[in-house]
Amino acid sequence: MNASRRPIGPILLFATIASMATAGEGTPADRAIQAERERFFEQRVRPLLVESCYSCHSAVKQKGGLRLDSIEAILGGGDSGPALVPGKPGESLLVEAVHYDGPEMPPSGKLAPEKINDLTRWVAMGAPWPSADRTRPHAAGISPEGDRTDPQPLPWSFRPLRRPEVPDVDALPSPDGSDWSTNPIDRFIRQSLAAKQLEPAPRADRLTLIRRLTFDLIGLPPTPEEVDAFLADNRPDAYERLVDRLLASPRYGQRWARHWLDLVRYAESDGYRQDAYRPDAWRYRDYVVQSFNADKPYDRFLAEQLAGDEIDPDDPQLRVAAGYLRLWPYEYNQRNVIGQWEDIVNDVTDVTGEVFLGLSIGCARCHDHKFDPILQEDYFRLRAFFSPMLPRDDLPLARASQCETYRQKRSAWEQAAAKILREMEDIARPYRDRGTASALAKFQDDIRAVLTKNEADRTPYERQIGALAFRQVAYEHDQVPRILKGRDKARWAELQAKLKAFEAIRPEEPASVMTVRDVGPIAPPTTIPGKPRKGTIEPGFPKALDPSPPAIATPPAAPDSTGRRLALAQWLGRPDHPLTTRVIVNRIWQYHFGRGLSGTPSDFGRLGEPPSHPELLDWLATEFIARGQRWKPIHRLIVSSEAYRQAAVRPFDEVVHAARIDPENRLLWKRTVVRLDAEEIRDAMLAASGELDPGIGGPSVSATSPRRTIETRIARNAPDPMLIAFDAPDGSVPIPRRVPTTTSTQALMLLNGPWTLARAKSFADRVERMAPASDGQRPRILAAYRLAIGRPPDASEIEEAAGFLDRARRVSHPPIRNADHAALVDFGHVLLNSNEFLYVD
Amino acid sequence: MGQEPITNGKLPITRREWLFEAGVGFGGLALGDLLARDLWAGATASPSMTDASAPWRQPATARSVIFLFMEGGPSHIDTFDPKPDLNRLAGKPLPPSFKPVITPMGEGRAPLLPSRRKWKQFGESGHWVSDWLPNIATCADELAVIRSCWSNGLNHVGGVCQMNTGSTLAGRPSLGSWVSYGLGTENANLPGFVVMLDNPRAQVAGGPRNWGTGFMPAVHQGTRIEGGEEPIANLATPTDVGTDRQRNKLDFLGSINRKHHETRFDQTELDARIRSYELAFRMQAEAPEAVDLSRETAATRSLYGLDDPTTESTGRLCLLARRMVERGVRFIQIYCGAGSRWDSHSEIEINHAKACRAMDRPVAGLVQDLKGRGLLDQTLVVWGGEFGRTPMSEKGNGRDHNPYGFTMWMAGGGVRPGIVVGRTDEVGLHAIEDRLHVRDLHATILHALGADHTRLIYRHQGRPERPTVNEGQVFRRLFLA
Repeated sequence: MNASRRPIGPILLFATIASMATAGEGTPADRAIQAERERFFEQRVRPLLVESCYSCHSAVKQKGGLRLDSIEAILGGGDSGPALVPGKPGESLLVEAVHYDGPEMPPSGKLAPEKINDLTRWVAMGAPWPSADRTRPHAAGISPEGDRTDPQPLPWSFRPLRRPEVPDVDALPSPDGSDWSTNPIDRFIRQSLAAKQLEPAPRADRLTLIRRLTFDLIGLPPTPEEVDAFLADNRPDAYERLVDRLLASPRYGQRWARHWLDLVRYAESDGYRQDAYRPDAWRYRDYVVQSFNADKPYDRFLAEQLAGDEIDPDDPQLRVAAGYLRLWPYEYNQRNVIGQWEDIVNDVTDVTGEVFLGLSIGCARCHDHKFDPILQEDYFRLRAFFSPMLPRDDLPLARASQCETYRQKRSAWEQAAAKILREMEDIARPYRDRGTASALAKFQDDIRAVLTKNEADRTPYERQIGALAFRQVAYEHDQVPRILKGRDKARWAELQAKLKAFEAIRPEEPASVMTVRDVGPIAPPTTIPGKPRKGTIEPGFPKALDPSPPAIATPPAAPDSTGRRLALAQWLGRPDHPLTTRVIVNRIWQYHFGRGLSGTPSDFGRLGEPPSHPELLDWLATEFIARGQRWKPIHRLIVSSEAYRQAAVRPFDEVVHAARIDPENRLLWKRTVVRLDAEEIRDAMLAASGELDPGIGGPSVSATSPRRTIETRIARNAPDPMLIAFDAPDGSVPIPRRVPTTTSTQALMLLNGPWTLARAKSFADRVERMAPASDGQRPRILAAYRLAIGRPPDASEIEEAAGFLDRARRVSHPPIRNADHAALVDFGHVLLNSNEFLYVD
Repeated sequence: MGQEPITNGKLPITRREWLFEAGVGFGGLALGDLLARDLWAGATASPSMTDASAPWRQPATARSVIFLFMEGGPSHIDTFDPKPDLNRLAGKPLPPSFKPVITPMGEGRAPLLPSRRKWKQFGESGHWVSDWLPNIATCADELAVIRSCWSNGLNHVGGVCQMNTGSTLAGRPSLGSWVSYGLGTENANLPGFVVMLDNPRAQVAGGPRNWGTGFMPAVHQGTRIEGGEEPIANLATPTDVGTDRQRNKLDFLGSINRKHHETRFDQTELDARIRSYELAFRMQAEAPEAVDLSRETAATRSLYGLDDPTTESTGRLCLLARRMVERGVRFIQIYCGAGSRWDSHSEIEINHAKACRAMDRPVAGLVQDLKGRGLLDQTLVVWGGEFGRTPMSEKGNGRDHNPYGFTMWMAGGGVRPGIVVGRTDEVGLHAIEDRLHVRDLHATILHALGADHTRLIYRHQGRPERPTVNEGQVFRRLFLA
């Protein structure tokens, strides 16, 4: 067949399915078809069997002697003979039964037509069943107690963490100039390559390495001076010194914090109609940046965020850290208070499960997880850790002693200005009373009842609901003085002016912070909606991971807290935790390579992608623990590996050969070229144009400012068009891995957008300053190349650039004053648009 | 278009041959970016999935959708769902036989507000339409009026989010994104999913994420289109740059990008980016033509109300929508009353009269024009807001949000014309018969476009995600035969 005449669509379809194949034999096409069929089974048939058949035909009961939880059992059949004949729905009892054609199954009512159709199609396909478990019965939480009686083997990620042997690859050759036998990472990678008769790529050149490393570790391009220094450094450990310099840079935290902010869906606004800006949200961002720069151990980092208040309620920085529990969107006028509180606690539970455990536990909120060993009860056990939390906005960013000083000064000021303040209060009171009445009127009776109850008489749950509802009352109160009318308004202004006389003794109020505390030492009960029979659900871990009850104790530092979140944090941070450790080192790997050892960083369950190098992942996880759960030693280990330092460019024949064996480059036979993230693109443009503001930290600024992107404001409902176009998250949901897209919107934005054009102008100015016109255009071409893409141009590039500049100078329409400058702006603009600028080898 | 392989001196084979050579699986190589048409739709998933062979494809009754989104929540009981009992009970509180509801402004106990509308039946279908919509009334026989819609969004952001994504909580792809992902586009030079606001400076409740892609690649997001010189953001070459300068830059850019790609030939997204610039340049030429209404006759312009300042804005968008449909755009969403202009907590008489007037003639014109051009059969027009409004009064002369029962209508695209589906209770508070949840509506819209919502799957973190959040049923009675 003449392949090149084939339409491209089917080829690609074939290619896609082939890449999905995991098991089976024969040609890739066979494997692909088999994989598709098994997928059909897993998605459409297995759930149906579990839901509609297992209660009578599985491990618990075998009515009619029939089990439907393994294909062998199905083929073996029951009292009436085999339940099905593969490929022959017309001869299959199971098919007849669901059609109510003979035996009528399930007896409780006929299945929906789609389900009958799916089951029939499955039999017609030959009843595909994943080959690994043909005889093993499948259990799905169907015993009367709701526990799995006969669990499947645990997913790979649940198995205990053990430190594997580092393979011996001494006999294998290394490409010239590299050494694949020293760094343990390389020994694992080299072994997997050798198993497929693949050779690694040679080491990339120094120009490539410094650009790769600088973007990777600090999110910025190297300056021409840094490049020169590295090229000139002849010491044997020049590369290691470069790594150390970058890891010690405060810019490192700015880059790596952004990865974390993606995961925790960080944003600085409420995300609903009002999308109110959260002026203090940046403190959490700074906390994350500082934590990375300080190389805070991960167990500490997660504990501070999950339970900072239970570690030390008096520590202001921990209040900021616990702001992790406040990153949910909030609707200031949601009258369904109970529903909103449900959503908030669910959200915190889901995000925590995803970020720390790498599990999509949200599925188990409504039913036992279809694919992973997580029961609905597990979900609510996990949720129960968060059920006592109470959002707090009133805790200052100060220690108790500082607050006391403030209170004293404040009290002195209040006494001095008592007369004025009292009059102001008198003016405000009727407005606020009306506001209270109006807010109360908008609630249903149940909420009103809570709000009108004495604080002391409220149950812990009522205190939570009451506090959430009261925000709406407080909102009305805060409308003073805006809503004051007529004489009140005028008088208010007069009083405010008078108040100024006491300004000298008025103390500055400590900054506030969005954080949480527990509602008290007693937690509100957690129950499963619609399943009152289950009673109160106590906090606990997914049973398949750890059936032992958590060690919950009142935290010594926080007697008013339940200690639940601290117990969860301590469990997650355990050095032998199979998930937390694997999940986090896989994430670190992903940010270095563009793809994790497992390509599904927040799904380490059965549907996720098993790691390409399971032993390497486990080795890294144990190494991470051995190095005190710090990130920087792991960065150092990874970026000094030969695997990391490989060239992105290889000869054609080698690529074709390797791509045939490992098309996705999962075995790492070269470096994959990756696009810069949205923030890196913006920052790199500012860096190239020389405009980047070196300041670090503090309140977020407008995107028009030349500060680094991580410090620009993030409003959920009004995301920055450029950042969104280049796949930055909008802060709605956790983003474990950005999918880089290529769109014409991006092209138009970079080509015609005023922001990029302005950078090109500044870039041209900078080049002109560096290379005076009198020296001719060659130094300018050199300078521009070095500033934009970190390398000098070769002879042919200089020639082509010179030709371009000549043509640009001659463009006569629209007329311009300074043709030389305009041509240089064009040149810079093209470089800032170029793939070499936007991608890193 | 645009699929000719990039060849170069160094390599013995063309890019397509390279694909085939190594074509054992391109999962990791940004598969979708291979084809220029997929710059707008189909990327990163597999572009071939937009072929008729995709597992979710089924026979379609519509090729395009025009979703007329009445943002803010139009009152169903003052437009398409007359309630004589409401006027009888006016001034009294909701009788206890009705299940009480949570309302945003706590008007559950407020007296019922009568409808001041005059109602008549129209056409052979006998659809009831109020006097606020005299022009749409003339199209009555084209409409399938669904009086039993319901949703979960009590407030605007949750409601608009659900009407777009199926969920009240942010983070899922918009229906238009699912369509772009699942069905692709038929015009490579225009986006497959476009969004227009009658008031371009307003913000739709919840912002652009309503046409965003959630967990899907951003390539499937809705593209904002406006009339005028620059229908798409950054489309026009800046005037101080000019065409000659732009062409010179693009030629140079293409040259250095191709050289860069030569040694990185297996990284297909580099090629995709080269093409994205070529496409951008072509769009600069083609998109303005697509939105150039000066080519329309005076009669057509008048049909859409372009000759009247009160209807001009919406009319322009409706006419643009027809031109997009003609050019193969799959999913067109028009926000009428963008910025919650239908929200009528008080003075509903003034507010709704104005909002109805702004869209009545343009929408009727659109339906008639599509019909006249033989396009209505293949175009599904959907009309409705994120919720309806309560029979209870608010502030004496307004109505609160009502997600418990409200009206939407559909026309064309294989939908049975002239029928009424479902029923609300005697005062129009709850949908009580043939209740259609938002996710049922989405399932039904996808069904019309030829996509089975239960099979339309995007894998996210290992999970099979579906447009209707694993719920929703196609309402088959809505379709002809």
